Amino acid sequence: MAKELQEGNCYVALTHDHLDSTSMINRVRSPKAGAIVLFAGTTRDNFAGKPVKELQYTSYEPRALQTMLAICKSVLENHSLTSIAIIHRLGVVPIGEESILITVSSPHRQAAWRAGEEALEECKAKVEVWKKEEFGGEEGGVWRANRDGAVGVRIDGDKEDKPAPGPHGPILRPKVLGERGHGPVVHLNSQQNGS
Amino acid sequence: MSTSKAPPGHFKILYFGPAENHTRKGSENLPAPLPIGKLFSTLEEKYGGIKANLLESCLITVNLEYVDLPEDENEEGIMIQEGDEVAIIPPVSSG
Repeated sequence: MAKELQEGNCYVALTHDHLDSTSMINRVRSPKAGAIVLFAGTTRDNFAGKPVKELQYTSYEPRALQTMLAICKSVLENHSLTSIAIIHRLGVVPIGEESILITVSSPHRQAAWRAGEEALEECKAKVEVWKKEEFGGEEGGVWRANRDGAVGVRIDGDKEDKPAPGPHGPILRPKVLGERGHGPVVHLNSQQNGS
Repeated sequence: MSTSKAPPGHFKILYFGPAENHTRKGSENLPAPLPIGKLFSTLEEKYGGIKANLLESCLITVNLEYVDLPEDENEEGIMIQEGDEVAIIPPVSSG
């Protein structure tokens, strides 16, 4: 059973079931929208060339739902969307299956593309879900961290790019909206063109 | 993770992802009240090495809200009360 929250034109959910992209598209479908963008994140079979057998996701569910809803509201407002929906799968997710779906609808396509990307980046930075990659064999699983360098438990032999730690270790406060280490998100084309 | 509340005189602490690996449990009850500034040292006593290996890269929630830890180790910060739900939030890896 999915755990879900809905507020206005925002919908968020966590589920142990398969994700259904059609139902997520239908959640944001509207006669006011000229565009729907769907992002599907799927589980990859390797990490830095090392074969991954399966992935497992856990979550602090009530906290994660609140964070997802806050992201939806913010992205909806920033891009004047018609509607937005985010669902994340939990538990074991076999390779090649969807672990997250984001759908956004908007009167025009540009806003929908940009909003979809922003929603995903925000989710990856903030939503309280943790991914464990099972490599199989004796090595066991490794908890991953989305932040560069903020690796989970141990990464044997992996040389990942680590930012120089500050005086108190890596900076791990949740990012400010739009902050991705490449400067603020600049909306080059805030006027809406016809789609 | 059990959903039961902490017994009287205790608060509940939740460990997620890599934190759960470190403590080998999803949650436990600890004596309350406890100043938030003493949380890491309390955990370090129970789980040697957890502070440097894990906690310093984590955020903390109390009753689902993120809280600031005092910058100065001698400051106590807010008080964790009986019945509160505290969570250790390691760097996330959603998506």
